[in-house]
Amino acid sequence: MGVGFVVGVFGVLILAHAAYSTIQYRSLLKIMQEEFSGPPFHVAVELILGLVLSMWAALTVPGKFHSINPEAEENRIVSLPANQDFMVFNHRGRLFPKQADLKLKH
Amino acid sequence: MVSKAEEAELNRLETQVDNGGGGAWDYLCLIRKLKVRRSHKVLNYGLSILNDSRKRSGLGQEEWTLYEQVAIAALDCQAIDVAKDCIKVLQKKFPQSKRVGRLEAMLLEAKGLWAEAEKAYASLLEENPCDQIVHKRRVALAKAQGNIAGAIEWLNKYLETFMADHDAWRELAELYISLQMYKQAVFCYEELILSQPTVPLFHLAYADVLYTLGGLENLQTAKKYYASTIDLTGGKNTRALFGICLCTSAIAQLTRGRNKEDKEGPAELQSLAATALEKDYKQRAPHKLSLLSSVLKGLKVSP
Repeated sequence: MGVGFVVGVFGVLILAHAAYSTIQYRSLLKIMQEEFSGPPFHVAVELILGLVLSMWAALTVPGKFHSINPEAEENRIVSLPANQDFMVFNHRGRLFPKQADLKLKH
Repeated sequence: MVSKAEEAELNRLETQVDNGGGGAWDYLCLIRKLKVRRSHKVLNYGLSILNDSRKRSGLGQEEWTLYEQVAIAALDCQAIDVAKDCIKVLQKKFPQSKRVGRLEAMLLEAKGLWAEAEKAYASLLEENPCDQIVHKRRVALAKAQGNIAGAIEWLNKYLETFMADHDAWRELAELYISLQMYKQAVFCYEELILSQPTVPLFHLAYADVLYTLGGLENLQTAKKYYASTIDLTGGKNTRALFGICLCTSAIAQLTRGRNKEDKEGPAELQSLAATALEKDYKQRAPHKLSLLSSVLKGLKVSP
């Protein structure tokens, strides 16, 4: 968790910084009375870097992924549930010795 | 359905609880969720929770679920006194409940008072004709008395109304198999595969019944369904692998001397299955490898 979390925070900080730089750049353009044609180069780099870092963090921090394939080792169905609605009580279990100390005490 | 991961979790909790490591409540919850039948353990550990008033009050509303679970487990273990006490407690808490009424009828069933139990179920059905579980209990009642034909009749009547109940279809298939009425069982398994196509065990059971029926066409279909079982389990189902080998050799015996058209495909499939079997045995039971190879030699399928 540690490394991934720090990287995620760093990624979000970079994104925030990119937003701040864009706002500053636009106010600068207003002062210089020029048209806005696109974000400056360093903001674009920051955006891509922030995207990559936060995506990586979002994929690693919450935990491991489980397989959704039915034939995957952990999803493989090994037995059916006992059909308990059709449970029958007169089976050979009644021949086992009973435990005498079983009692609901209250 | 019990998946591999859930089974491992259940086994882990079971050894933990058996060795006194605690976690009994989690174990009982998992048993309820997976619907496995461990009546003896539910009775022991459930009762020890119920007898400990501090633990019992810690459960809150779940307490009553535990009473029901323990009552049914006690019936299954023939501990009639415990079951009676549990049902009495539930009766006090929920005086008019149908669910408790069903438990009382099950108590009659466990005592072997068939006529009284039948009467109790009939009166429950009169109040609520759509109670699926009571309908199913009636089938079980007929089965308990050894009246399999009667059980099949009840179950067919039930399935006319509640066609989507796959547990009932499964029960019907098993009842038919116990009477060796394989053609009818085949129909039930087809129904099950239609309703739950991703459960490999239904494919496997279907293939087993078809193989038992015999005949060239059935054997070929059986082989296809063994193959789909292998597909759905990722090749980990030993029974399906053996099924492929058996089907191939049976088909070869039936078609001996006839024209050999589609020879190439099947031969490849069986040798793949045999290789997978040998690999599996080598890994998990090396001392039985010689047995396996002699069986495969007898079937004339070589990896």
